[in-house]
Amino acid sequence: MYHQSDLADELESRLGEPGAYPFTRGVQSTMYRGRFWTMRQYAGFGSAKQTNERFRYLLQQGQTGLSTAFDLPTQIGYDADHPFALGEVGKVGVSISSLADMEVLFDKIPLDQVSTSMTINAPAAILLAMYIVVGEKQGVSMDKLSGTIQNDILKEYVARGTYIFPPTPSMRLITNIFEFCAKKLPKFNTISISGYHIREAGSTAVQEVAFTLANARAYVNAALSAGLHIDEFAPRLSFFFNAHNLFFEEIAKYRAARRIWARLMKEEYGAQNLKSLQLRFHTQTGGSTLTAQQPDNNIVRVTLQALAAVLGGTQSLHTNSRDEALALPTEDSARIALRTQQIIAYESGVADTVDPLGGSYYMESLTDTIEKQVLDYLRVIDEMGGAVSAIEQGYMQREIHNAAYETQRAIERKDEIVVGVNAFTVENEKVPELLRVDESIEREAKEHLLHLKQQRDEHAVESTLSALRNAAKSDDNLMPYILDAVRVYATLGEIANVLREEFGEYQPV
Amino acid sequence: MNRPIRVLIAKPGLDGHDRGALVVAQGLRDEGLEVIYTGLRQTVEQIIATAIQEDVDCIGLSSLSGAHMTLFPAVVEGLQERGIDDMLIIGGGVIPPEDVLELKKRGLAEVFTPGSTIGEMADFIRNNVLNKGELSFFEPPSQVDHIGIAVADLEQTLAFYRDHLGFSVVHEEDIPDQKVHAVFLQAGELHIELLLSTSDEGPIGKFVASKGPGIHHIAYRVDDVAAWLERSRLAGHRLIDESPRPGGQNKWIGFIHPKSSHGVLTEYCQITDKE
Repeated sequence: MYHQSDLADELESRLGEPGAYPFTRGVQSTMYRGRFWTMRQYAGFGSAKQTNERFRYLLQQGQTGLSTAFDLPTQIGYDADHPFALGEVGKVGVSISSLADMEVLFDKIPLDQVSTSMTINAPAAILLAMYIVVGEKQGVSMDKLSGTIQNDILKEYVARGTYIFPPTPSMRLITNIFEFCAKKLPKFNTISISGYHIREAGSTAVQEVAFTLANARAYVNAALSAGLHIDEFAPRLSFFFNAHNLFFEEIAKYRAARRIWARLMKEEYGAQNLKSLQLRFHTQTGGSTLTAQQPDNNIVRVTLQALAAVLGGTQSLHTNSRDEALALPTEDSARIALRTQQIIAYESGVADTVDPLGGSYYMESLTDTIEKQVLDYLRVIDEMGGAVSAIEQGYMQREIHNAAYETQRAIERKDEIVVGVNAFTVENEKVPELLRVDESIEREAKEHLLHLKQQRDEHAVESTLSALRNAAKSDDNLMPYILDAVRVYATLGEIANVLREEFGEYQPV
Repeated sequence: MNRPIRVLIAKPGLDGHDRGALVVAQGLRDEGLEVIYTGLRQTVEQIIATAIQEDVDCIGLSSLSGAHMTLFPAVVEGLQERGIDDMLIIGGGVIPPEDVLELKKRGLAEVFTPGSTIGEMADFIRNNVLNKGELSFFEPPSQVDHIGIAVADLEQTLAFYRDHLGFSVVHEEDIPDQKVHAVFLQAGELHIELLLSTSDEGPIGKFVASKGPGIHHIAYRVDDVAAWLERSRLAGHRLIDESPRPGGQNKWIGFIHPKSSHGVLTEYCQITDKE
């Protein structure tokens, strides 16, 4: 039980009002009374055409933003016809090899009216360039585009694995994007600094926030070193967190993250713009909490996790589908997932009150505890020379792995109960209908590429790629060069290959 | 085997999710196995080369990206092309049940999906690797000994098997601890065992109440029920009987759970001299 004595002194200054420094209670003063969070379901599979159909279906169903999943070859900068792409084309997301695919992906979706989030990291600059050119072709200028690119390479080394280049050139690409977008795409979030995958890899809630904020500092420092001013790029930094099972801990986690970030930006970096101090974040419910056993139970897990995200003040939310421990979600499952957050928004009334848990003895005490533990981690990482150095030494990876292993052990000992898995099991479970990705996607994607290469202006492709190569050797911002190459239909793989040759490839520790 | 079992945990394809692979690798190490982890983004050729070079007994393939149907069998085939067919290949990841069946047809010994424990995996590897050399010492069951059929109305059932099909009744007895009356008919080399429950509480009574009359179990004739139960237990199958018990016609019998034998209640039975 928690009492008034568990509250820290000077609670007022630790909390602030919603929409005011240090934003513990939320980044907007009216929170969801003004507008609900953005309901943004991550989707993408198979061909650009199939995903375009799913996008339009989701928009029709009342979804308010798009979130694009790319397949692994796309995420690692290989065209669909590369030998390494074998078996992976269109599997975990949509396959994009060139501007031609991107045009199909956003066909009949007006880019000035939707905001699009793209889960793309190592080749983020290339995919962003494709998005910009699709906009141009629709008659939508860059400054009207809104959305987010994930663009968070550090967590790829730590937890997610879709890296291409070593840290130094990767950080350069990221700061190039910051700089370019600050001037040309003022409504675009240039990075989504992600704890989500760190948590999925097995970290604790504290590690999730600590490693994410450590990575965020590394990006800020890189941008500052590149000569950018803090208030020029910081307002476009966004974050991405997990919503896991422990309900109150998750809510406290979001609140603590906001407070730490606000103080860090103000006190350490001297940011003046209020928007630079606000930690805005997307949330996805925890994929690794879903069970293959009794999959309908996952709907309940997702509901609780989504509720925690909402009570924690998220700006946008993806709710997972019940069947994701078995396969990609079916349309039915994806709809239930979206309905789950619509029910929370429209029926439960939790959105009617701004930060309804603010001031709770337990919530405030837990927020303080998490904050303290996160700050301890940040100090350790600082002493190691910052996030990049901690990653190069394998520190974050080891900490996460140890936590993951401990969780697995706890489940096997039944210290941690997973309903339907190590308790309350049933025999002879019925397998639900699952989505299957058509194996012909790979063949079709290869055919499209062959066709594209016969149609395009090879001379233009060669000259833009060679200009990009020269730029990579210099200190120029690479975005304009990538845009030129994309416009003449140089493929993702061709552009990434030029950069591979110039930058080298990351070798994991 | 005079060295620890050696396992290669491998991540084929482009998938970056290595939580499972890393946890399994460490877990198997803690179970006393020797484990090598390839790291991410391995081609099929790289995995095969590492497996051969490290002389592993088992390869554990992990993929959560949906590429398992392409990549897992490619490892099996690649090994076969090099004349290697005694390496135990297992898999894990987000893999739909129907794919699990297909992968087993294509040479994977087992597929562990979310919720599997490290203990299960370690047992499976140990038993299958250790039994590998001993397989030839096991004579497979010599024949189907009998098919057990649960009966609701014995007279009407006999009217079909005895009077219509013309099989003769060769033996009849009460088996009190099973609360059942058993009638054996000779059907060529094997027996049909008609099982009539003598109580609603008995296993046959419950079976008929929930599923109606019909095929109840298949019994295989073996030399040594105890040895077969042990072999099944070691292979990770779920047993109903931990040790042999007396059955009808003075045979020793033991059941394994239908969940382990793909939906068919399976009995081992051994003819004794007393018959």
